[in-house]
Amino acid sequence: MHTVLSVDAMDLLWMIATVLFLYSSLSFLWKAFDCRRNQNCYLFDYVCYKPSDDRKLSTELCSDVIKRNKRLSMPDYKFLLKVVVNSGISEETYGPRSIIEGREESPTLDDCDDEVDDCMYSTLDELFHRTGISPGDVDVLVVNISMFAPAPSLTSRIVNRYKMREDVKTFNLSGMGSSASPIAIDLVNNVFETRKRTLAVVITSESIAPNWYCGTDKSMMLGNCLFRSGGCSFMLTNDPSLKHRAKMRLKCLVRAHSGANDDAYSCAMQNEDTDGRVGFHLSKSLPKVAVRAFTENLQALAPKVLPVGELALYVIRGLRHRLRRSKETKAYAGTAVRVNFKSGVEHFCLHTGGAAVIDAVGSALGLNKYDVEPARMTLHRWGNTSASSLWYVLGYMEAKKRLRRKDRVLMLSFGAGFKCNSCLWEVLRDLEDGGAWEDCIQAYPPQSLVNPFMDKFGWVNEA
Amino acid sequence: MPRAPLPEFSSSVRLKYVKLGYQHLVDNFVTFLSIPVMVAVGLELVRRGPQEIVGLWRALELDVIHILCSVFVIVFVATVYFMSRPRPVYLVEYACFKPPSNCRVPFSTFMEHTRLINSDEKSVQFQMRILERSGLGEETCLPPANHYIPPHPTMEASRAEAQLVIFSAIDDLIRKTGLKPKDIDILVVNCSLFSPTPSLSAMIINKYKLRSNIRSFNLSGMGCSAGLISIDLARDLLQVHPGSNALVISTEIITPNFYAGNQRAMLLPNCLFRMGAAAILLSNRRRDAGRAKYRLVHVVRTHKGADDRAYRCVYEEEDAEGHTGISLSKDLMAIAGEALKSNITTIGPLVLPMSEQLLFFLTLVVRKLINPKRKPYIPDFKKAFEHLCIHAGGRAVIDELQKNLELSAAHVEASRMTLHRFGNTSSSSLWYELNYIESKGRMRRGDRVWQIGFGSGFKCNSAVWKCMRTVKTPIDGPWSECIHRYPVHIPEVVKL
Repeated sequence: MHTVLSVDAMDLLWMIATVLFLYSSLSFLWKAFDCRRNQNCYLFDYVCYKPSDDRKLSTELCSDVIKRNKRLSMPDYKFLLKVVVNSGISEETYGPRSIIEGREESPTLDDCDDEVDDCMYSTLDELFHRTGISPGDVDVLVVNISMFAPAPSLTSRIVNRYKMREDVKTFNLSGMGSSASPIAIDLVNNVFETRKRTLAVVITSESIAPNWYCGTDKSMMLGNCLFRSGGCSFMLTNDPSLKHRAKMRLKCLVRAHSGANDDAYSCAMQNEDTDGRVGFHLSKSLPKVAVRAFTENLQALAPKVLPVGELALYVIRGLRHRLRRSKETKAYAGTAVRVNFKSGVEHFCLHTGGAAVIDAVGSALGLNKYDVEPARMTLHRWGNTSASSLWYVLGYMEAKKRLRRKDRVLMLSFGAGFKCNSCLWEVLRDLEDGGAWEDCIQAYPPQSLVNPFMDKFGWVNEA
Repeated sequence: MPRAPLPEFSSSVRLKYVKLGYQHLVDNFVTFLSIPVMVAVGLELVRRGPQEIVGLWRALELDVIHILCSVFVIVFVATVYFMSRPRPVYLVEYACFKPPSNCRVPFSTFMEHTRLINSDEKSVQFQMRILERSGLGEETCLPPANHYIPPHPTMEASRAEAQLVIFSAIDDLIRKTGLKPKDIDILVVNCSLFSPTPSLSAMIINKYKLRSNIRSFNLSGMGCSAGLISIDLARDLLQVHPGSNALVISTEIITPNFYAGNQRAMLLPNCLFRMGAAAILLSNRRRDAGRAKYRLVHVVRTHKGADDRAYRCVYEEEDAEGHTGISLSKDLMAIAGEALKSNITTIGPLVLPMSEQLLFFLTLVVRKLINPKRKPYIPDFKKAFEHLCIHAGGRAVIDELQKNLELSAAHVEASRMTLHRFGNTSSSSLWYELNYIESKGRMRRGDRVWQIGFGSGFKCNSAVWKCMRTVKTPIDGPWSECIHRYPVHIPEVVKL
């Protein structure tokens, strides 16, 4: 009894030392585990910009605006109308006020500010209202608007308007083209991995008012016909306690930059024409460049997205194809082995660069009409809104109640540089918000996608 | 300009200290607990003597398995501990653009051009007065497009300037470090007032044929403090991606920003902004630790945009005639001072030595418990750093900061001399200043450097670096040909 009860001072010390040792080792292990918990990036909510109806670009209005450029000759006029007629967009798309009101050749700085403010503030107001988060809780703020970067930056504009905290981390990305949405997400994701319980707000849009081209270079006039007003604000977080309210979780993100190739770098470039007017030049080699960048991105994306079975099948098919090719070169020379992305992805948010782009990407990925419908409809309803187009496509899918829990959504975009960026999301719960599509989703898909311009200006295709 | 009251500054610092003390206590509770235990064990061992210790060891009857298990547990815990620490970020090397002498704009050239371009005599006189008191020297440079009468601000000329300044700096960096372009993992470019599509980062990727899976970011519109924002972003990226390096480019392209009107507040940038660029190579690779110059210790960012006055003090706008320019408000000094105070209250607890913090804490205790009338102790920030690099925004800014922080002439020498030799090169000025200190042979191993940048927004950003190896002179850089002439005495007014 005596020996059991009398605990030596030395034994006590050993016991305490062991307990402390165990405690510290457990706390280190907990820290390491806790680090991993921060590595999830959740999409809390997103709001797409819906400009006011007085900014809709009707057939008449487009024609008037084009006619205002007195430098255009008849062939130029016909060319422009041809582009507009075959573009796949409707009369419901929006333009900036300064262009509608006739100031497209000399927009003031106020015009540019107003255009951007309207988009940013209306979407942010709604985003804060819907999520119930106050602007003072925002830790990271990212704005990406490619072709307008005033001083102080647009991020400072937002900090000023919403009175955000002094230690908010702001990043104003600019010049990064139509594929900047995944770039902004990449930035936020990286910041998330270094901090706990962080909330980020990202605004993506494009500025059209200061970038209207008023010269006669055909390659630069395409931009005028294709770009439309649009934008999106979305909120990301890595806080696990907000997971139950979040819409999607980021699974992977792949960026491919083909700028090392001179053709790729110069195929979509802001430049001066021979008369000294600044415009956005789109070269004829753009489709080829896009395909190369797209392939590079898919090569990196496929292993991360596709199930092992599909990858194995691809390898086997590839080997068989190569064996066959070596035996019968002529028959198989032109064909390529296709990967079925639908085995790893349920929904595809394709960048609405144009009808041709959507079709080309769709066929490359092996998609059917149902899969490309959201992108086609977005192009029809909103036009090419540059970096924010992916979010309108996502909005369509959500409004059509296509997004169910555990579905995977692939966002794919292209942009000047030349970049192809993609990201894969996993849907966390059944999504049903109408968003910007609320008032018109019932009318989609419409019976015919024939452009209303065709009625009035179909003759340009014949001439 | 009246000096801002200091007591108000100390009260905001006080709360942060209390909070910090509490955090330290709670975070390191285990350490605090285990120290007395370890001390007691140590004393006990000493008391028992070596013979008894050996006897105890034998009595434990540890066999090989026990020992192996304990060793395994220790190694495992140590590995987890080391892996969970944030990766250090090293500055391997940096290079600044050295403007060619044919781009020089001595006072006579500047005034001659101004007279020929600007018909309004009052504006010309105003610009002359600004130049006289600016603190700029005769060797500052403007880009080739600005040498035309009137200046030729085309997009092509802007791109040409960007290529000249950025590529020179990168070529210099490659030569100094032997960096292979294909080896660059992260690229961050910041240029406030010129943002073409494709971005300047795409331009660099194209010229140097960088890899296609590079993580590139192009920051724009973020003002003169954007250099440290880029460093902050590069640091976050390096924390996440092991074994990587990052190339950070800080520059300001002057060509598109010549102001052609007559508004006084908007003429100032014409007089002060000059050509410059810096290319910085950061790395988190362990093998670069041996050759790195500095280690990044802290980056603290403060954004005062919520205050309307601060937001409006550096603002791009159109004047009545439709000319675009950057207007600097009269409140600039006061706002810069306030922004710096906010930044200091955050960085203070991170950098001040234990002695200063302890003194402040003790004085606080004394004031609270014993004598409320005792003067508050203002921590001496000069004890925390050996070198200071303050953004060379203008002479008035440097004067104001020297007064506010109670700095001596030696502390602000780098800033003043950079302003004199290179003008206000915006975000890259901090790197020219650092290069000055190195060229003077003052940078020793273990020295701490505090870089402070200010800019539109209104932002105040700080970075703290620790020197990892003594920099031996002479060094190859923008100061190499003129460092022997510096420091120069800059008179209050240079009569033109």
